[in-house]
Amino acid sequence: MTELLTIAEASRRIAAKQLSPVELTSWHLARIRALDPRIHAFLLVTEERALADARAAEARQMSGGLKGPLDGVPIAHKDIFNTAGIRTTAHSRLLEHNVPTEDAAAVRRLADAGTVLMGKLATHEFAIGGHSFDLAWPQPGNPWNPEHTTAGSSSGTAAAVAAGLILGGTGSDTAGSIRGPSALCGITGLKPTYGLVSRVGLLPASFTLDHAGPMAWTAEDCAILLQAMAGYEPDDAASVNRPVPDFRGDLNKGAAGLRIGVVRHFHETDNPASAATLKGINEAVALFESQGATVREVRLSSLAEYNTCAFLIILADMYAVHEPWLRSSWELYGRIFRNRVAIGGLILGADYVQALRRRRELCLELQSAMTDLDLLMTAAQAGEAPRIVDTSTWGFLELPALTTPANLTGYPAISVCTGFGAGSLPVAMQLIGKPFQEPTVFRAAHAYETATEWRQRRPELAA
Amino acid sequence: MGTSSIDEAKLARILARSGLNLTPEQVHDLLPGATLLLGMITRAQTSMPREAEPAVTFNVEQR
Repeated sequence: MTELLTIAEASRRIAAKQLSPVELTSWHLARIRALDPRIHAFLLVTEERALADARAAEARQMSGGLKGPLDGVPIAHKDIFNTAGIRTTAHSRLLEHNVPTEDAAAVRRLADAGTVLMGKLATHEFAIGGHSFDLAWPQPGNPWNPEHTTAGSSSGTAAAVAAGLILGGTGSDTAGSIRGPSALCGITGLKPTYGLVSRVGLLPASFTLDHAGPMAWTAEDCAILLQAMAGYEPDDAASVNRPVPDFRGDLNKGAAGLRIGVVRHFHETDNPASAATLKGINEAVALFESQGATVREVRLSSLAEYNTCAFLIILADMYAVHEPWLRSSWELYGRIFRNRVAIGGLILGADYVQALRRRRELCLELQSAMTDLDLLMTAAQAGEAPRIVDTSTWGFLELPALTTPANLTGYPAISVCTGFGAGSLPVAMQLIGKPFQEPTVFRAAHAYETATEWRQRRPELAA
Repeated sequence: MGTSSIDEAKLARILARSGLNLTPEQVHDLLPGATLLLGMITRAQTSMPREAEPAVTFNVEQR
């Protein structure tokens, strides 16, 4: 092997017996050894397990018994997904020696699909505390320039996919933790509809805003991963019991006929985006229109309204989860995590209920705005990745995130790379769909990715 | 909270009531975030009719 493959391409070659899962896995393990010391995406590489998984996949390949498009494909999991017998730390000293006895539901489903487990990936501590400098393990640098942040919290997954260390992986998204790092690392990441992918075995941040989802190089690859991850799990009270659609079913339909609303005030005034980000969105609008989509502007409540509501719920939930350990083990947490969560102690019961009431209003607003639309479009991040030394503890409260509306409402949303900025780092748009309409989200993202050049460009480090 | 300003002494009292007894240095470290959060709490206190309940929070068919 000499080239980086997408999941879709690796899958085709494995099915045609042109690619050995053992060769594919060994090649990526060698890349991890060579490149990960520079970007620190992995907390743990499970080499023996990976080779065992690959040999099993290869046996199925040779006997004509492949399980599907993920059989023999190397992936890894964000280290807040429980893995049976494999250390799961949430990138925190608090869980440094935590070894779960059962897989998270999404981990189990991906293993059942034949994936090869390469290891556990870095995260912001407990999926909110980063970029931190005082944890037991380093936090990742951005493969496009390791002095710049990956954003978080699914930082290791984004860095590992961008660097070509794995073909795809899992992330979680409570306020943008899949889409943010996907945007800044130039990959594709989907936060599914709330309830579509179970959170059983996922260390919690905020119970009604946590989502598990796929991250990969392309929208098609995310669709393949989601196909395995999605489905009813009775142990998750939020899991929906409904048929799982074919997420690649509409992939090649193009954008013709799609109705898209651009929420310009989100990225032009509420959290002003860079010139490159705006250019990317405007060019995407032109491309979708050229393919036959109709595009118009939409106005919603300000991002600050969505952000306020989301973070009152998140911080109160996180405080409730972590209060006993904040009291007993303050020093085991990183400074940024414990500071961010401790202020949740200021939120009174009445404040929390008020946020829930406001949430309902905002959900109804978004539902109404999308009555005659298939998708909303805005930026996924305001610009390129900042330098790690320029990230701040309280930035998430100072400027409203472009990603929180989809968490608060539970709507599916994807980050898609739309080019590069002045610093040669990626920029991205965000497409938000209606609940359980992931096939439409993938359709638009795939139409864009296959009509533009950005999926052909990899970080120099990964070339 | 129902208030939009806070100092270190007040922050320490509120956190203690919530179960966190922190050193003055630790409280000092939290103050910028606490100030921003109070602004958000104030923003969320928009007037609503009494009957505006968050109907998404309870479902009788528990699993």
